[in-house]
Amino acid sequence: MITDRRASVRDRRAEFEATLTRTAEARAQEAGAATQRASLLRDALYRFARNRAAIIAALAFVVMGAFVIFVPIFRDADPNAVDFSQSFLSPSWAHPFGTDEFGRDLFVRTALGGRISIGIGFAATFAIMLVGVVYGAVSGFAGGWVDNGMMRFLDALYGLPYLPFAIITLAIFGRVNFWTMVVALTVASWFTTARVMRGQIITLKENDYVRAAHALGARWYRVLFRHLLPNTLGVILIFVFLELPTVVLGEAFLSFLGLGIEPPKASWGSLAQDGYTAYQAHPYIIVIPSVCIGWLIMSAFFIADGLRDALDPRTREKV
Amino acid sequence: MLKFIARRITWTIPVILLVILMTFFMMRLIKGNPFQVTERPVPPAIQRNLDRQFHLDQPWYIQYLYYVKGVFTADLGPSLVQRDRQVNDIIKEHFPLSLKLGGFAMLFAIVVGIPLGVIAALKQNSIADYAVMTVVNSGYALPNFLIATLLIYFFAVKWREHTPFPTNGWGGPASWVLPTLALGHAPMTVLARIVRGSMLETLQQDYIRTAKAKGLRSHRVIGLHVLRNSLIPAVTAAAPLLGYLIAGSFIVETIFGLPGIGRYFVISVASRDYSVTMGITVLLSIIIIVANLAVDILYGFLDPRTREVGAR
Repeated sequence: MITDRRASVRDRRAEFEATLTRTAEARAQEAGAATQRASLLRDALYRFARNRAAIIAALAFVVMGAFVIFVPIFRDADPNAVDFSQSFLSPSWAHPFGTDEFGRDLFVRTALGGRISIGIGFAATFAIMLVGVVYGAVSGFAGGWVDNGMMRFLDALYGLPYLPFAIITLAIFGRVNFWTMVVALTVASWFTTARVMRGQIITLKENDYVRAAHALGARWYRVLFRHLLPNTLGVILIFVFLELPTVVLGEAFLSFLGLGIEPPKASWGSLAQDGYTAYQAHPYIIVIPSVCIGWLIMSAFFIADGLRDALDPRTREKV
Repeated sequence: MLKFIARRITWTIPVILLVILMTFFMMRLIKGNPFQVTERPVPPAIQRNLDRQFHLDQPWYIQYLYYVKGVFTADLGPSLVQRDRQVNDIIKEHFPLSLKLGGFAMLFAIVVGIPLGVIAALKQNSIADYAVMTVVNSGYALPNFLIATLLIYFFAVKWREHTPFPTNGWGGPASWVLPTLALGHAPMTVLARIVRGSMLETLQQDYIRTAKAKGLRSHRVIGLHVLRNSLIPAVTAAAPLLGYLIAGSFIVETIFGLPGIGRYFVISVASRDYSVTMGITVLLSIIIIVANLAVDILYGFLDPRTREVGAR
């Protein structure tokens, strides 16, 4: 009897210990998963991946990227070959987007136009980020009269109308190509980024860890590059996807007004302008590049939205 | 409050001076002598006289002062291409149309955009909300040259027999409709989005819950508390809306062939009529700056908290 009881007690004890270890292991696993996720990037990625609109937008963005990259590679139609016997063909298997007045295949021209539009978009966005971040960081970090002066200057720039400002910049260069267009768009639209970056830096500057860094004797550049700028990366990333559509649209407006890249090169805006001259009989020519612009704007916008939800801790609870 | 307004107005003057200075410098950077563009070169003696007449023989800061004086006395100098015309006359001829078109578009944006935003917010996540947001997003995404062209294509070309709208021109109410829709569409969507967002935020406030809890009827809660508090942020949208209107008017006036200031700006750049280009830029800048000033002051009235913070 006694041995039996002892045995059963031992059994139970072993069983209990087994439970303990099991739960401990499970807990450790969960904790491990949580820690892995808790790294800033993984956490953000996880949240971004759970946002359906953002994922669809990201896919749409990739599809557009693949379209502009691969179509001109795999389609051997010469985008500039003029053939009047083929002019104004409606969309078909041979020409999915139809042909224009000169019989040029619009499928490959739209893809090439996308390369120019998106290329200008990313280049100008990068330049805007560079100028805006440097200006905003200097202004916010320096504070005092430097900050005051820089912000007043920015106020004045806000008074300049966007398109005329870009158009005058293009007139200064005297000709329009990829890079002058990038400069014109950057000059006309870097203010918002600068202002937001300054606000970010000023908010971050008040944090205890920044004061601690100062107190521990960190030099200003260490505080700026080690503590302040890395914490603004999220905002910068969001702003990339907010600026991109603005810039692409700005370029399209300029091209539509006939102030775009010189032909035979064409961006979506100049393709739309070509289409406008023939809209009564062949409306598809203006619709296709315009929808491409809309596609890009929409996907960038929802990506920015998803990134904001993923990266901004304040909105995290709502996800 | 008076102090706030006075400070805000005082600050506007250096901003205008700075904007004129920047425009002035940019125009100077554009290469070329305006009097040497024709095939027949101007004799040196006449060139000197011309330089003297337009103060081109003076250093840049004197020229700048002359120009500032011109701006404040509403005299923007002669056109460089149409030699017999003043920039003032050109603006007087073309600006009223743009002002009218912009006014109509703004009115359309307010009358349609605000109710759409309100409906979407009150019926959040309903079919009405999704429908409104689809329209709003389409307006955000599709460039207005497409919208303008499609409006012309359907209303003025395809259904020509059934609709009274002409494809272009500015002669009577029927011809005002399509340009107004094309120009007002983008600001309308911006306004609807802002109103929806700020309504949703207001609806979550504690004082709304209190108002409901004390038994106020829902239309009173919405009319008295929600609408008033959520339309205030919409006032700040005025500046970006103005930007949309100005940029859009360039396109819309070009497409509809309207002789407005936006179209003339594009023409002046193409024909290198730089005094007109500069005059229009300065005019638009002053409009933007004054609009910002008005918004700030209005906002100071509507939301007293901003008077201290907003004092710049």
